[in-house]
Amino acid sequence: MITVAECKKPQSKLRSEKFLTPKKLYLPLSQHTGKPSSCCVKVGDFIEESQVIANQDGYISSYLHAPASGKVIAINAWNNPVLGRSEAIILEPQGVSKKYLPREGIENLTKEKLIEIIAASGIVGMGGAAFPTQVKLKSPKPIDTLIINGCECEPYLTTDHRLMVENLKEIFLGIEIICRIIKPKVVIFAVEENKSDAIKQINLLIHTKKFSLLAARTAVLPSYYPQGGEKQLIYSTTRRKVPGGKLPLDLGCLVHNVATCFAIYEAVYYSKPLIERLVSFCGEALTAPKNIWVKIGTSLKELFDQKIIEFRTEPEKIISGGPMMGTSLDSLDYPILKSTGGFLFLTKGPKELTEGSCLRCARCVDACPMELLPLEYYKRAKKGEYQDLSTFNINDCIECGCCAFSCPAKIPLVHYIKAGKRYAPKNK
Amino acid sequence: MPLKISSSPHFLSKVDTQHLMTQVLVGLIPVICASVYFFGLRAGLLILNCMVTAIATEAVILYLRKKALAITDGSAAVTGLLLALILPPTTKWYAATMGSVFAIFIGKHIFGGLGANIFNPALIARAFLMAAYPKMLTTFSAPIRWLIVKPQQWDSISQATPLVLKKFSQEITPNLDLFIGNISGSLGETSAICIIIGGLYLLIRKIADWRIPLSLIVTVVIISEIGFILRPTNADVLFHLFSGGLLLGALFMATDPATTPITKKGRYIFGIACGALIMVIRYFGGLPEAVMYSILFMNALTPLINRYTLPKAFGR
Repeated sequence: MITVAECKKPQSKLRSEKFLTPKKLYLPLSQHTGKPSSCCVKVGDFIEESQVIANQDGYISSYLHAPASGKVIAINAWNNPVLGRSEAIILEPQGVSKKYLPREGIENLTKEKLIEIIAASGIVGMGGAAFPTQVKLKSPKPIDTLIINGCECEPYLTTDHRLMVENLKEIFLGIEIICRIIKPKVVIFAVEENKSDAIKQINLLIHTKKFSLLAARTAVLPSYYPQGGEKQLIYSTTRRKVPGGKLPLDLGCLVHNVATCFAIYEAVYYSKPLIERLVSFCGEALTAPKNIWVKIGTSLKELFDQKIIEFRTEPEKIISGGPMMGTSLDSLDYPILKSTGGFLFLTKGPKELTEGSCLRCARCVDACPMELLPLEYYKRAKKGEYQDLSTFNINDCIECGCCAFSCPAKIPLVHYIKAGKRYAPKNK
Repeated sequence: MPLKISSSPHFLSKVDTQHLMTQVLVGLIPVICASVYFFGLRAGLLILNCMVTAIATEAVILYLRKKALAITDGSAAVTGLLLALILPPTTKWYAATMGSVFAIFIGKHIFGGLGANIFNPALIARAFLMAAYPKMLTTFSAPIRWLIVKPQQWDSISQATPLVLKKFSQEITPNLDLFIGNISGSLGETSAICIIIGGLYLLIRKIADWRIPLSLIVTVVIISEIGFILRPTNADVLFHLFSGGLLLGALFMATDPATTPITKKGRYIFGIACGALIMVIRYFGGLPEAVMYSILFMNALTPLINRYTLPKAFGR
């Protein structure tokens, strides 16, 4: 793992704001890992807020709900910050927003019913991977350790941090629900040490024992990148290593991001599906960074048009996600997805970087949290020797970017690895 | 709004090749100062000669290979400087120039250039000069401490190095002289204290990895201590540490990224094997070139070490 500049000040101290009135909503059918949802509305339909507009399609898939009441004006291909382009439902909000009333008799809900509610709410992992949450909760194997991920190791991003400071009780109620479903022996709340205000509150809530969490404890982890990566987090908190090709549940572990826990709370306590999320907008090109609650599907362009966020200088790069793993965008015409933690607006870097010769200094090897050999992948991918790549376990790479970050020759190693993965035989 | 599209990460460390090489040059400043202090202006000229020749050779070869003229990365300057520092102060200018050309052309570019070479270019060039001019390369002068010495004076003050004195006449040089550098030897090998200061700077700034120097030095300490206990006429630990090219080799040659293992485990093996080889050559060998040959030999074994120490990938 590596140490990167955090760049989390001042946004980590900024109270979250709300922005709930977009003029248009762009809702890609694929906002999660697995099969895209299947659209169940037609152009011209009038939709109520939180009504299902696309159904779960297959086992690993998710529902999609209308973030606001309004009219479907188009269903066609639209920009997607993760996939580039994908089929999307475009909605024009009209009318008033819905009130969510508390659900009755939560104590009596069975495990199956809880999973059903979570699935029907379209909840996916909000840490970035967007894996449908109900699939993780239906573990065929017993889970002994539930790990709550509050690490947020990507520089700049502060949504999980703000959520923990502002909505910690709700997060704990969400964790309680998960515990009722999977009945773990231990709950570990993992936070990086740079979030001292959140840590204090978490310790306080754990010690008051107001929540029925079995053997809950806080794990304060050093602020390394990628501390919040699922495999790294499991290792840091339990010393268990998830081998390539295996899942955390094979080792009796389950990891859920704090934002996912909050979404579970809203779904179970208020029957509110996943239709909005907290997003960080930061970077040197903005007049001021912000943490804003936005409806899923809100376009970046609209936030600028309505002057919710403003440019100080023209950005050189716009990134969806964090600077280490995010994707660079070609325009502002991109919507916010269920998995979007933030947008970065970066100004010009200090100098143009050209790819130099590999020094074989092995800084990439030293930095790799997966104990892989990035320089060997680069060498082979460049020569087109893809056969060898699988024997070197290239598919275990989590594309965290530690190698390329550390490379003194500024070789875009992640780019070569992604290309290598595409052609490497997937026999293992 | 023209936006730049690129692969992640969008955040890169400020450390680049040029920075690494510059830091190595900075780390060698104490050593350069010591060499000029002990061997006069002639030492400075020798350093200048090697560095300029190395950079010029690099420029010519990069031009001929139709590659970007990346001499500003500093790698050729480092090679030239390191070569100068392991030559005797009395080395003739033409030999030093030939050595520098050899280091860059044969030592580096024949193998494919920066990062692709198998042997440490400075060491392989010294090995070449050793074969070409054996007498010149094994004649050392005593430290003089004035700036300008007329060439004819050099021969009159020649003196054997501490290692040679020990080996052939059982004469032990005082440890303090070894530590400060008041001894004969190659330009940059004499002052232990200056090498340590520069080396620690590199390790603390994380320019060089600590695994090889540490395991190499610890191995030398252990073996020389055992040797000393078994037979007290052997030199003691401090003598072995401070004499010859041991410290310069351990801190500046065995840490060369291109020619040493890429795996952490491999680096320990490299360091331990180097240390052991140095002691074997010092105890049983005929020439006092232990550090140079050990490192070159281990350079040759580096691909093998890499192959057998490849990490298994997380959790596999």
